[in-house]
Amino acid sequence: MPIPVRPDHSVTTTCAYCGVGCGFKAETSEGRIVRMIPWKEGKANHGHSCVKGRFAFDYYQHPDRITSPMIRKSVDDPWQEVDWDTAFAYAAGEFKRIQAEHGVTSVGAVSSSRCTNEEIFLMQKFARVALRNNNIDNCSRICHSPTQFGLSATLGAGAASQHFDSVLQSDVVLVVGANPTEGHPVFGSMMKRAVRRGARLLVIDPRRTETVDSPHCQAEVHLALRPGTNVLVLNSVAHVIVRERLYNEEFVRARCDWDDFGLWMGMVGDDRYSPEVVGPEAGLDPDDIRRLARIYAAGPNSTIYYGLGVTEHSQGSTGVMCLGNLTMATGMIGREGVGVNPLRGQGNVQGGSCLGSWPHMLTGYRFVTDDVVRGSFEDEWKVTLDSEPGLRLPNMFDAAVTGSFKAIYIQGEDPVQSDPNRHHVEAALRAMDCVVVQDLYLSETAKLAHVFFPGSSSLEKDGTFTNAERRVSMVRKVVEPLGGLADWQITVGFMNAMGYECHYDHPGQVLDEIARTSPAYSGMSFDKIDRLGSVQWPCNTDAPEGTEVLHMATFPRGKGSFMLTGYLPTQERATDQYPLLLTTGRILSQYNVGTQTRRTANMVWHDDDLLEISADDAAARGLANGDRARISSRYGATELTVQISERVNPGVVYTTFHFAHTMVNNLTSDLDDWATNCPEYKVTAVDVERVSVPQPVAGS
Amino acid sequence: MSFIETERLVTMANQIGDFFEPYASERRIEGVRNHLRNYWDPRMRQALYDHIDATGGADLRPHVLEAVAILRATAADKKAYAGPPQA
Repeated sequence: MPIPVRPDHSVTTTCAYCGVGCGFKAETSEGRIVRMIPWKEGKANHGHSCVKGRFAFDYYQHPDRITSPMIRKSVDDPWQEVDWDTAFAYAAGEFKRIQAEHGVTSVGAVSSSRCTNEEIFLMQKFARVALRNNNIDNCSRICHSPTQFGLSATLGAGAASQHFDSVLQSDVVLVVGANPTEGHPVFGSMMKRAVRRGARLLVIDPRRTETVDSPHCQAEVHLALRPGTNVLVLNSVAHVIVRERLYNEEFVRARCDWDDFGLWMGMVGDDRYSPEVVGPEAGLDPDDIRRLARIYAAGPNSTIYYGLGVTEHSQGSTGVMCLGNLTMATGMIGREGVGVNPLRGQGNVQGGSCLGSWPHMLTGYRFVTDDVVRGSFEDEWKVTLDSEPGLRLPNMFDAAVTGSFKAIYIQGEDPVQSDPNRHHVEAALRAMDCVVVQDLYLSETAKLAHVFFPGSSSLEKDGTFTNAERRVSMVRKVVEPLGGLADWQITVGFMNAMGYECHYDHPGQVLDEIARTSPAYSGMSFDKIDRLGSVQWPCNTDAPEGTEVLHMATFPRGKGSFMLTGYLPTQERATDQYPLLLTTGRILSQYNVGTQTRRTANMVWHDDDLLEISADDAAARGLANGDRARISSRYGATELTVQISERVNPGVVYTTFHFAHTMVNNLTSDLDDWATNCPEYKVTAVDVERVSVPQPVAGS
Repeated sequence: MSFIETERLVTMANQIGDFFEPYASERRIEGVRNHLRNYWDPRMRQALYDHIDATGGADLRPHVLEAVAILRATAADKKAYAGPPQA
């Protein structure tokens, strides 16, 4: 047995992987991180962790790290290493030249949820004061932007209503389009604890996930719906609640708009949403829809947790509204044990949404078109701000393809690998005059860049993250930034080079600026978060130590709003040529597109994306475990190794998207959510055919 | 060339129109107007106007066309909001 390394230093910080945001003690020896110990006082994780946060930290010192700024005139030229000042001057010179030639709004920026609140805030400030437009977006565009839209429309706040511990007071847990056992494992364990204590578990998901059926955790009802039918099925659940008078009239009359409730009842109560009509279309037993609706409405404390299986659809925002409507109709909102809660994918997606990194909204979800709101920022920043919405990231790419959008500053994102329709993204980036990428490695996107700023990992900087329960926790520097600057310093350097002078000694001063301009964060400071361990927003004069549960007495706008959520089938349909529906998800040991976890020993658990296919569909194609299969859609093709599985129904296939070489986003369409342009990743019609001899499949 | 391909803009506008379809006429139109005003870059709106001027609004849903007409007439008169159409 090797002798364990004895750490000489320990720093308490927050994990940057999923939206749980676990607290860790990062221990170092001679300046290198040697282990991550779950922090027992961490209010999100209470000393628990998963195999990503616990073991997947070595990525920060992987040989692939780029530690010097680089520039080049053309993507066909070799990179030239330069110092920071030269890189800032070059990038600023290019952006200013492009704006002079093509207009102020021909450039934009996108922020990353791998970065801190302070860094995200600075990115949107960069766009607004240095680029002088609202062309700023964040990575929740492709995951949870429908959450912000749908929950704001119904409940008035685009965020989870509960804190994680609330699930322990739930009698019924409804999980929709999420697999917390794999995607949010520390919360998943807490949810299983609630189930072991007697909570009834209901799941709506096309796949028999580990949440549906694993040791000590069995769903009482599982609706394995056909991909793309969320809104149809949720309307059918609402139909049962309305027609069987299971709604909470007292709650609705007291807390919600009664007239819109009446319209909503009329819509979902129509016969077209009866389980007997919906069941065959969604591939479900009508009795199961009725059982689920009755159990949820009976509570007495029923709660909803949902994920990208709800949002990443052409009706993603509508699906979120369905969930908001259900909580209000049944009175399952505004106290412990109930509510509706998005399970956010990345560590700081909630922060990315809160901190104004939107083309149409400033911090606190306030419209840029509002003169009063905009005026408060103009007073703070001493500039006149653009009063019109800017471009969303997909629309920046659309405009680049037509030659109308010429330069972009991308912080910590890899849209070539992560965004839909890879060919379209690559064409857009190739059409731009200047692409600036700030990242740890030469990502797929960086290969099409003209300027590379070496970014810093969350282990190399100070700041805060906001997790999926609105909890703001400290991120603390464990080791020095390998590239010399933290991400917030890079953005400030670029901003100054663009001609907007600003200076911060420490990111705590940025949080102070956030507090001055953002009502929900107005009571926050590094000192307070240090003292309390973490703080959930809203944190203000009414709630100086933060707020665990939202909507207790009233909704932010007063009355809750029922939205009409008519079902419209996606245009992406199975056909004779593409008879199967592909849907995607995550595995426990890897994270998102794998940029970090693939560069750690976690590869020992999962070293490839596999194609799950039912035995019937496999037999029809002559496929066996370990075969290589070609998967083709209307948009592209790739190859994956086959794993025959009972987790998917016939007609449905499934894969993860953690590996760049599998290029799963070659397959996905450019269909997107009607309200937010969030891509429809969860439904792609495909065909599958055998291409080679069997190979071993891990875990088969 | 259009700021963004016309087919893409028409599809997006009709998707918004489809969402508000279950509302009564006045609110249906107002929902589309509010969304286009507060979520769309003005160049995208202008490209949609150009398409309507050039073709009479080919392939656009009738209530989307009505919403655009009101939007062009009223510009930024009405304050932005989230939630059900206020009409």
